[in-house]
Amino acid sequence: MDEDLRIVVVDINPLRASILEDGLREAGHADIVHIDDTSDLLNRLNAATPDVIILDLESPSRDVLEQMCEVSRTMARPIAMFVDRSDTSMIDAAIDAGVSAYIVDGLRKDRIKPIIDITIRRFKTFTKLKDELESAKLQLEDRKAIDRAKGMVMKAKALSEDEAYALMRKAAMNGNKRIGDVARSIITSADLLL
Amino acid sequence: MKVLRIGYIPLVDSALLHVARAYDFAKAEGIELDLVRETSWANIRDKLSIGFFDAAHILAPSAIAACLGLGSAELPLVAPVALGLDGNAITLSKALYSQVMEEARAAEGSLASPHVTAKGLAKVVAKRRLAGAPRPIFAHVYPFSSHHYQLRLWFSAGGLDPKQDLDLVVVPPPFMVESLTKGLIDGFCVGEPWNSFAASCGAGHIIHRSRDIVRNCPEKLLAFREDVAMADPDCVTALSRAIRRAAAWAIEEDHIEDLAYLLSHDAGLDVPIELLCTILDPKREPELKTAKPRLDPASTVAYPGQADWLHAQMRGAGQIGDLPAVKARAAYRPDLAGDSISEIPADLEIEVLGPAAVV
Repeated sequence: MDEDLRIVVVDINPLRASILEDGLREAGHADIVHIDDTSDLLNRLNAATPDVIILDLESPSRDVLEQMCEVSRTMARPIAMFVDRSDTSMIDAAIDAGVSAYIVDGLRKDRIKPIIDITIRRFKTFTKLKDELESAKLQLEDRKAIDRAKGMVMKAKALSEDEAYALMRKAAMNGNKRIGDVARSIITSADLLL
Repeated sequence: MKVLRIGYIPLVDSALLHVARAYDFAKAEGIELDLVRETSWANIRDKLSIGFFDAAHILAPSAIAACLGLGSAELPLVAPVALGLDGNAITLSKALYSQVMEEARAAEGSLASPHVTAKGLAKVVAKRRLAGAPRPIFAHVYPFSSHHYQLRLWFSAGGLDPKQDLDLVVVPPPFMVESLTKGLIDGFCVGEPWNSFAASCGAGHIIHRSRDIVRNCPEKLLAFREDVAMADPDCVTALSRAIRRAAAWAIEEDHIEDLAYLLSHDAGLDVPIELLCTILDPKREPELKTAKPRLDPASTVAYPGQADWLHAQMRGAGQIGDLPAVKARAAYRPDLAGDSISEIPADLEIEVLGPAAVV
């Protein structure tokens, strides 16, 4: 019933955009346009004639859309979703998930809310995925740094591998730091001193 | 220790907040500053509105617009102090700069006069129109910004109609230089460091400092949500004192490098630190036309007369209809800083395109 709503997703992150797009399609929204280049955004948006525009809350391009709310030559005037204060829980959830949206003035709220709800859920899915990827990447980097620092400690203090690791772990516990960070400071100090 | 969460946009004129935090001027007043970097002026407004921020570094006209409910639901804000004056500049692409200068040189008067360059621009616009070429596109940072009004004033000096003769678009400051290089825009008005950055990397030429067009132009305010300020007015006064001490610190020549470091490290301005030093201390590279904002204590007084001037600009830009100036004045609350409510003194008067404005 909502296939006539054109949703424009402005996102330079291809992964997040595709996660969102999949979610919207599953819910029956077929008319989706993805803009992945924010240069000349106003013209791109005007050409896309959206009913709903979704973009990352942290995108600096929000200010471009503010201009569109003020004057719009070719499309119906959009308004920021935050303007309507009647649903504060939705606004809080949107801000929490990092979602902002601009909606053509006059669209019924019951048609918009499901779209915003899907977007919030999908943004959260993306954030979780990103955190997992980052933590895996960090673990890998930690392991590399720990190995290198361990070698330095073994050489400098004539310790076995296990003893060097135990020493670093103790330093981490005493300083309330992560062992990967201790390893990195050992490497930095060694680079400076040796 | 009271914690205040304050949003800011990474720009040279966010300096006083960072100084107040890093050099403990706020802490001395019993306030811990939690400064949160933001990416858009829309976010600054919306996060103030939902209570995520207690206060923010905000474009003065945007604070007025929020109070009037323009572009958003009505959001009462009160500014005890300003965070400086001036500090924008107009930068043109190399191509447009040379065309404007060629026309301006053929006319009479000093090239340093915005009247002369604006007439040069008008000739370029007329020639383009005859040739069937597109209108020049100028970028500013937000519909409710002094940058927008400064461009309009410059265009008007050349008899240009900003609605008919040129296109005005919004581009976020960190994207300005790239947009100019890509040819998406022909010029822009933005705050530092982005003009000096464009000039130093050869993307464009600074044609005027905003100070050449409007002297002592109101720029950013430190604005609180009204309910936050009213719940603890002593805290607002205390932070205002801290900002003023930060301003006294910031004008010391010995502190230029420390301030540049703060802007690079704390404010996250992703440009060479040497460039920040040059912006703060223009005599290091006199040939680079930088536009340092005024950050001295006198420039931090929030004179309600500044709201009147901005109200007139907003009306001129067709943004405000018949809303009375008295409502715009509500955002300016020098009394909350412990300042007397007085007229703008002669040495801080806002002067538009006057002969004295020509450096």
